[in-house]
Amino acid sequence: MSTETENPPADAKPEVKSPPPKPAPKKPEAPPVELPAFEKGISDKLVEKFGDKVEVGFVKEDRVRINVGREDVHDVAEFIRDELNYDHVESVSGVDYPQDNEIEVVYHIGSYTESSLARQILVLATRAQRETNPIPGNDATKLPTLRDVFYSVEFHEREVFEMFGVFFDGHPDNRRLLLPEDWADLPPLRKDFAIKGR
Amino acid sequence: MTFTLPPGLALKKVDERIMTLNVGPQHPGSGHMRIIVQIDGDYIVACDPDPGYVHRGEEKMAEYRNYITNIPHLERPVIHDSCNVLYPYVLGAEELLGIEVPERAKYVRVIASELNRCIYIMYWLAIYGIFLGHSTMFMWPAGDRELLIDLMEKMTGARVTHAHFVPGGVRNDLPPNFEDVCLRQVNYFEKRIKEYAAVFYDNPILISRTKDTGILSRQDAIRYGTTGSVLRASGVDYDLRVKEPYDVYDELDVHTNVMKEGDSYARSRVPWLDMMESCNIIRQALQKMPKSGSVRVKLKPNPKTKGLESVYKRVESGRGSLGCYIVSDAKPEPYRVKMSVPSFRNLIALPNLLRGEKLGNMPSVYWSLNYWPVEADR
Amino acid sequence: MSVIAPNFKLSEFIKSLLDNIFWIILLLVLIGIPAVMMVLFFIEMPVIDGELLTPFLALTWLADPSRILPVIKAFMATDIFRVMAFPGFGFAALLAAGTIFVERKMLAKLQLRVGPFYCGKFEGILQLMGDGLKLISKEIIIPAKADKPIFWAAPVLFVAAAAAFVAFIPVAPGWVVADVEMGLLGVFAVIGFFPIITILSAWSANSKFPFIGGIRALFQMVSFEIPLILSLLGVVMLTGSLNLSQIAASQSSFPWIVFLPVGAIVFFITMLAELERIPFDLPEAESEIVAGWLTELSGMMYGLVQLGTYLKLYAFAALFVVIFLGGWNGPMVVPPFPPELLEGIELGPVVAGPFPGLPLFDQAMLNGTLWFVLKTVAVIFFILLPRGVFPRIRVDMLLNLGWTKLIGLAFVNIFIALGLLYAGVLGPGGLQ
Repeated sequence: MSTETENPPADAKPEVKSPPPKPAPKKPEAPPVELPAFEKGISDKLVEKFGDKVEVGFVKEDRVRINVGREDVHDVAEFIRDELNYDHVESVSGVDYPQDNEIEVVYHIGSYTESSLARQILVLATRAQRETNPIPGNDATKLPTLRDVFYSVEFHEREVFEMFGVFFDGHPDNRRLLLPEDWADLPPLRKDFAIKGR
Repeated sequence: MTFTLPPGLALKKVDERIMTLNVGPQHPGSGHMRIIVQIDGDYIVACDPDPGYVHRGEEKMAEYRNYITNIPHLERPVIHDSCNVLYPYVLGAEELLGIEVPERAKYVRVIASELNRCIYIMYWLAIYGIFLGHSTMFMWPAGDRELLIDLMEKMTGARVTHAHFVPGGVRNDLPPNFEDVCLRQVNYFEKRIKEYAAVFYDNPILISRTKDTGILSRQDAIRYGTTGSVLRASGVDYDLRVKEPYDVYDELDVHTNVMKEGDSYARSRVPWLDMMESCNIIRQALQKMPKSGSVRVKLKPNPKTKGLESVYKRVESGRGSLGCYIVSDAKPEPYRVKMSVPSFRNLIALPNLLRGEKLGNMPSVYWSLNYWPVEADR
Repeated sequence: MSVIAPNFKLSEFIKSLLDNIFWIILLLVLIGIPAVMMVLFFIEMPVIDGELLTPFLALTWLADPSRILPVIKAFMATDIFRVMAFPGFGFAALLAAGTIFVERKMLAKLQLRVGPFYCGKFEGILQLMGDGLKLISKEIIIPAKADKPIFWAAPVLFVAAAAAFVAFIPVAPGWVVADVEMGLLGVFAVIGFFPIITILSAWSANSKFPFIGGIRALFQMVSFEIPLILSLLGVVMLTGSLNLSQIAASQSSFPWIVFLPVGAIVFFITMLAELERIPFDLPEAESEIVAGWLTELSGMMYGLVQLGTYLKLYAFAALFVVIFLGGWNGPMVVPPFPPELLEGIELGPVVAGPFPGLPLFDQAMLNGTLWFVLKTVAVIFFILLPRGVFPRIRVDMLLNLGWTKLIGLAFVNIFIALGLLYAGVLGPGGLQ
């Protein structure tokens, strides 16, 4: 299910930065051919715990991407919160992949409490089955909610539900948020919802 | 007659004592959103924010335009903070397109972004003043904001919607003699905002109204994933300009303003302190900026990215951490643009803060969340 | 050729004007003047200067305007003049209109802007007239579920109550509409009407925001009436009278604020609350409850309530002046009338006058009015000032303030008054 290319060394643009004056959590300057050590440690911990259930999307400076199947996403999120000390979700984005017949939901998870993680964003991606004719809430496009793990996903998941039709099982408040209550069209951020005239 | 309502219209049966108030969208104290407030006497028992009245589908529109033409419309969510709201998108596009920005452009960006932060906070402060019934505090920031708007007009040619940041730098170089004018006006501006303490921040009625109302504890601030001034007013020392410095913020001395109280007063005071910090940063940046040099890397028309890859960039905007998640697929247009906006993230605190508060505290608590309805709706 | 009137011709326009003038003159001569004569024939005419005012005599005013002076003077002695014009409604409405303009300009200067600027040649002096015309021309929208008779009556009642309040205020010696023995009690009774009118208006609108605003207004006014009444009792004890004219006259040597500053402060604060001025404008808090109890009022209904509000503002300021600042008392600054005015002016061989009826007012009255207006304007200024300085207070803080601190201070004021009385500083054997 990985559509992300695993070639972070090629992508990782050498970031020329002078030594910061702040005691910001800086890792040693990684040579461009190697993965950044700190981020590699995070992904290694996850791989060690979950084995082949998780797939490391990429490891870049400050960013680690983990692809997880939809049945494991809750466990992985709990592990991320409890063991890796991430504490809040910054963003929940849906991405529609019609060619794979899947909708990807990407959680960008950060940490306020752990100072070494202040720069880090853990990208947790999972995929839901995509329906050609969606009936939001009543079809197979479902994912387990992470609201009981990260409270901060509440409104983000509501937004993903209305914009992509991904129903979050166990979310206490699966209502529309931004769209009008009488919206009866396709979820608008799916690729098959076309803007008129484009 | 029985029929099933769609999930968004599910009706709830409420107690007879409880009165449901629709605060908004046509309400002077709501902005472009609706807060469905249930009150028992003077106490709010439940609150359900209902944003979306200015949802313009910026993210959908971004999938139809290329990386350059996305710029003027992606800044629309917060026109008062238009440089900062574009910043993560521009950073992300630069990483996807593999562009290195000239040094002078980075400083110009920092100056523009700090000026914009002040402009936004002044506007926010003006509305906070009028929400508390303090009409002088509406007029003063709205007038003093003009100083900085004039500066931005000199710099970019537009008063509010600048569209100044482009992948590869900034659109125009600074006008001649800009540094002197900027320094003079920023110094005056700082002197002026310090006067607000006397009329607003030290006002006994204001203090008695906002102290100890809408307290957001440190744990809750972290748990709700709030950001920006809301987070820093709750005692979390987190500012992306320090924690994850982008462009040239790591060469500047940035001080983070943190308050421990977590009440409305702290949330309203932290942005004011941030403005003074912004003035400091602008002065430093003006001093350290290379006096000449290019400010823009020319791009080919319709630049393409390498393949299916994604990038998540974030900056500290006037309201907090603003992230932009771009997925590209080797086409001139981005495959998906998601803006994780601070207003939307702070909104989650609103129902929890308002529960149990008095109705009279609603405007002060609501607006102290540094919430910008248009931005949350995108 | 304008688009609005495509068939406009100047000659026809002038012709239509002349036509109108012709018809007006014709109708006036044929119908108007006979009708006036008939009416004047039947009604009883006053006797002026020992001469019965006949219709013929009345018409001679057209030839000699100075002969109208005795009539005006006679009219000024009537009650209807007092109610409508000078110490009553007209005078108060004029001051209230001035207050609105001054408030807008002063607030604008305080907030570094210009305020009304374009309407009228000078500094937007006609802005108020423009606003009034706008309000009159607007449609009055009544909510569908409103209790219509009460909803219609409330603005009128509000203005009426405010005007009744104005009627108790003595402006100059002898110049008061209702010079009643229990004047202060009458004032309290009239003040008691306002919360009732407010809650009636708010409740009859059958809408949520007005209802909350009305409830808040009720809370606020009722809880502040007690310190209001108590704060004035000190003066009543020292004066021994409830008649406002006597209270004002008793301050000929010094105003009561010298001895009872605590009462004055309490009365000023309660006054702000009764007037719903910032920082106590909770019933109209726009960021919480739209416009409070005024939300559903539209057009001239809103205009009437605004008129009533500013009349009330004038009346409260005037009450403060009468009770604490000495009313009309002040040094004589009006110069005596020139003797030519009384004896006639010699213009060479011709002597013009003396005009019977001049002067219309005596010197003491003009001086009293001048001092009264000056003091009232000063008090109004201090009532307007907090609007530029303070934010709005919250309802629980407001009630706390009213029921504990202000009532406590009002009792302190009463004890001060009693102390002064029993110590012999004031009262019988004292200074006064």
